[in-house]
Amino acid sequence: MTADQLIRGLAAVNPGFFIIAAALLAAVARDTVVRAVALIGGPIIAGVVLLYPPVAGVEVARTGFLGFDLALYRPDSLSLIFGFGFTLAAALTGIYSLHRRDQVQDAAGMVYAGSAVAAVFAGDLISLVIFAEMATLASAAIIFAKRTGASYRAALRYLAIQSVGGLLLLTGAILYGLAEGSFLFQELGGLWNGVLVGIFDLKQPGAILILLGAGIKAGFPLTHNWLTDAYPNTTETGAVALSPYTTSLAVYILARGFAGLDALIWIGAVMTIYPVFFAVMENDLKKVLAYSSNNQIGFMVCAVGMGTTLSLNGAAAHAFAHIIFKGLLFMCMGAVQLRLGTTKATDLGGIHRTMPWTTLACLIGAASISAIPFFAGYSSKAMIMASAESGMGLTVVWLMLLFASAGVLEHSGIKIPFFAFFSHDGGKRPKEAPFNMVLAMGLSAAICLAIGLKPSWLYQLLPFRDQAIKFLTFDLFSTAHMIQQTELIAFAVFAFMLLKWLKMYPPEREGLILDAEWIWRKALPRVAAGLARPTAIPGRAISALIASTGRRVQGLAAQVFAEGGLVSRKLPLAGTAVWTLAILGLVVLISLFSR
Amino acid sequence: MTEETKPATPPKPEPIRHEPIRLGEPGEHPLSVLLFSWMRSAFFFRFFMGVMAAVGAVMIGFEFIFIRKSYTTIDSLPGFFGVFGFIAFAAAVLSGWPLGRAMRRREDYYDTTSGEAGDDR
Repeated sequence: MTADQLIRGLAAVNPGFFIIAAALLAAVARDTVVRAVALIGGPIIAGVVLLYPPVAGVEVARTGFLGFDLALYRPDSLSLIFGFGFTLAAALTGIYSLHRRDQVQDAAGMVYAGSAVAAVFAGDLISLVIFAEMATLASAAIIFAKRTGASYRAALRYLAIQSVGGLLLLTGAILYGLAEGSFLFQELGGLWNGVLVGIFDLKQPGAILILLGAGIKAGFPLTHNWLTDAYPNTTETGAVALSPYTTSLAVYILARGFAGLDALIWIGAVMTIYPVFFAVMENDLKKVLAYSSNNQIGFMVCAVGMGTTLSLNGAAAHAFAHIIFKGLLFMCMGAVQLRLGTTKATDLGGIHRTMPWTTLACLIGAASISAIPFFAGYSSKAMIMASAESGMGLTVVWLMLLFASAGVLEHSGIKIPFFAFFSHDGGKRPKEAPFNMVLAMGLSAAICLAIGLKPSWLYQLLPFRDQAIKFLTFDLFSTAHMIQQTELIAFAVFAFMLLKWLKMYPPEREGLILDAEWIWRKALPRVAAGLARPTAIPGRAISALIASTGRRVQGLAAQVFAEGGLVSRKLPLAGTAVWTLAILGLVVLISLFSR
Repeated sequence: MTEETKPATPPKPEPIRHEPIRLGEPGEHPLSVLLFSWMRSAFFFRFFMGVMAAVGAVMIGFEFIFIRKSYTTIDSLPGFFGVFGFIAFAAAVLSGWPLGRAMRRREDYYDTTSGEAGDDR
């Protein structure tokens, strides 16, 4: 068998399974080399297999389960771009994690990545939900793995909210599949411009539940705090492993099921705006990055809602680029956390002197997320902005996205690198990050530059390839677009420097910023306590009555059964004989009349 | 000629030893010296601020020259992106003052004795 035949044979298997299999090896690997092979080799095999995809849109692996038809592997142009992003992220996370020998995190991270890959290639609702929930459980294990009280509680909160999302997805999937008579995507909807997108009909209650479930996983407004709660409560590798999958998978579900849904335009636009204000106030830079994820996912959700070929290409391209540059920024903060034990802006500053490689990588990540020309975000976000600008009746949305773009520059483009590595010098001189971390950051930075400088390779992977190439040829690097973007960024950076110079930039301060999580961490417990208060007095009386009755029964039993009690007294022999005869007679009578 | 009559050779001048100029701070990584050390002066800050303003102004000039404008929509106004970027950035940053005062709490705001959600601290 040649290597080509072997790869084509493997190409009939959902690539996520290779990563999950590698996770099992990583869970038991004690040898350094075996562990490295598992962490990096699994995603690489999955990635190589993805380079030889079977015919797009054809169910490669179909199986039966409880009488239902399931399609475990159905690759198409929408799933491929997400699959490539996830496998790449898994390989980079594997390299980044090599210094830390923690089998729980290794295995959980790989199961998480493998399940996410398997989910985007699933060809039916049931498989999709099962893989998505496997990913959820594995991701919770990553948070638990920090092994502190705070991370334990954060993981429980994460599990609680993700379980709600998962239950909504599962219930919605079952209701929808039963109502439509099939769970297979290709039987639920038709092709649109050659790709299966927007397949769910919102007239079905199941579709609404799926939308809500995917919304929780995407971090829709008011449900978004699972990101800002979980990401800071992880180890230095944990946030890197957490950041690429759940939210991107939700974007994939929204694109597959709800492309063109108008409500998503506004939900996405709101998602891009509010994190800007929270990120400005926030002191913990990992939390700032979590808010930044809310903001960037908002761009994708908005693009999915617009539902044009250009906007869906933009959502997919931005999801891919975001996986890489947000992973890079989390890697940089992870390196700082490893060396200094904190990512709080008040405790950092001046460390570029001894961590220049990390600083350089962070600057490239920051330039990428800020959409500076020739960096990753410029090539991916341009399609979303162009869709909004040219969309009918979308002027307000476009202005919101433009505001959010300036906000991204503030919190991720400037605040993260400035406060972590420059700013006030606190005298800390940590060592540079370990080699494996620097290597992973370097590779991620190189991919960011590759997307920015030569985006054609990414554009060829997009769901609507021809439209993407057309945009690349005529619009992406057009004079107007380059000038306008440079102008926006130059004036925004000027505003930052001016405000700093005038000492009008708010100083970093310790503290916790109130957000929607206040509702379930403070308000709801207070409401529950308030509701319980009127029942407190009768409750105490009933408790006292039960306790008093219990004590009386206990006393009575003691009188009857204790030594010298009623039943333990010595009886005269004659009396005993009479009682024995009486009981015997009773038994005889019962047996006679019971026939 | 005897030893005594030989003219005394002038002593060799000590070679001027050029001490390497220390760049950056003691212990600083050479890459940091190369990439970042020149950014630390107050002059650089003001200089870079001027550069950004100049780049922005040049871009507005380019808009007049290279982009055919219809002047009928808001985004077709020359300088719109620069003005919007400046105002949006400044608004986002300056909002941090009042919002921070209103919404910042102690780090242990959510901590409780029981470890569960609620008010039992």
